[in-house]
Amino acid sequence: MDERSLDPEALTQAILARTSGAPCRRARALACDFVDGGLDGAQADLLRGHLAHCAACSALVRALAESGRLLPTLAEADPGPWFTQRVLRSTSRRSAGHGPDVRAAWRKLLHRPRIALETAYLGAVAGMMGLYAPVPWHSLVPPAQVWTVPLQASAQRAAGAVVRVEQYTAASLRRTFLPLREASPAGLWQRAVAKVRGWLKRLEAALKPANP
Amino acid sequence: MEPTPLLALVRNGDELAWEAFVRRFQGRVFGLAYHYTAQAEDAQDLAQEVFIRIYQNLALVPDEDGCLPWILRITRNACIDHLRRRKARPPLWDLSADELFDLRSPEQGPEEAHLEVVRRTMVHRALQELTDLNREIILLKEIQGLGLEEIAAILEVPVGTVKSRSSRARLELAQKLAAAGMGG
Ligand SMILES: [Zn+2]
Repeated sequence: MDERSLDPEALTQAILARTSGAPCRRARALACDFVDGGLDGAQADLLRGHLAHCAACSALVRALAESGRLLPTLAEADPGPWFTQRVLRSTSRRSAGHGPDVRAAWRKLLHRPRIALETAYLGAVAGMMGLYAPVPWHSLVPPAQVWTVPLQASAQRAAGAVVRVEQYTAASLRRTFLPLREASPAGLWQRAVAKVRGWLKRLEAALKPANP
Repeated sequence: MEPTPLLALVRNGDELAWEAFVRRFQGRVFGLAYHYTAQAEDAQDLAQEVFIRIYQNLALVPDEDGCLPWILRITRNACIDHLRRRKARPPLWDLSADELFDLRSPEQGPEEAHLEVVRRTMVHRALQELTDLNREIILLKEIQGLGLEEIAAILEVPVGTVKSRSSRARLELAQKLAAAGMGG
């Protein structure tokens, strides 16, 4: 006799394996009715007998009972403190159709994946302009061209890159700010864009070498 | 307040009645939309759309017991349309902290409330892994408590299908939850 046959559970499993097979499928078919209290006493007792020895079915029945408790609690969820006001504003006869929802537009803007990149870009442009734009290099720096020429070339490359990035992001910013632009005073956006473009042109001109 | 007099007042253009109506059903509408979309922001937008649609079709809203199933039905249809449109981009199932907060019960202590949030989040996530029909049956039957016939009408399937699928759907969900450690 080997050790396995001394263990009654192992013996049961061995017999089931060679006869009906594991009864888990039958246990699972009854599990919902069992949890709902819909099984008659004898069937419920048989199932309990199986659960006492089958960890998998036992875990399943516990998960079934737990989900049965939790599911009805998921019927309602709080849509947030401003939801009712949003709905009332959208359905009010006085304000219906009056202008875009600025708060929603702003929230969408902040949730856009490129917002961090765009903020970083604007910061970089501001930094570059602070560093280079107002400074007429050639008049302030003595004609020590040994180091100013490479510096100018490098700054020019940087300015070129900034202009290229500006062209790319201007399109992106136009898309981003479209809903806000509609909500802002007419022409403000165009004036701001023209101003930035002007700065960048002056920056490019200032950094152009005297003898190309 | 019974839905019939409230609805009658809403139909007469009483703004306070409309506010009461929105407050009464917004949790259900947002809750259902949230489990369909798994994104709080999308669910908010959808819930708002649903109420606008209701407001524009007040004459169609059924009185009494038919009111909630009707509202859930148009919520479900709005969600299905939204999910079809969204198919092009991958869904983000991960919940953020404020999304979890949406599911918190206010009456519990902090530790129990946290455990409850974890359990609800497990259920919410497991729901996203079910097959479409099983998930809808759980959402409408076990969560929203609609009857078999109401669900069959909403899903446009025979009542027998809803009945036979119901247990399978619950078992499928329980299997996902047991695999995730619930009931272990
Ligand atoms: Zn078993």
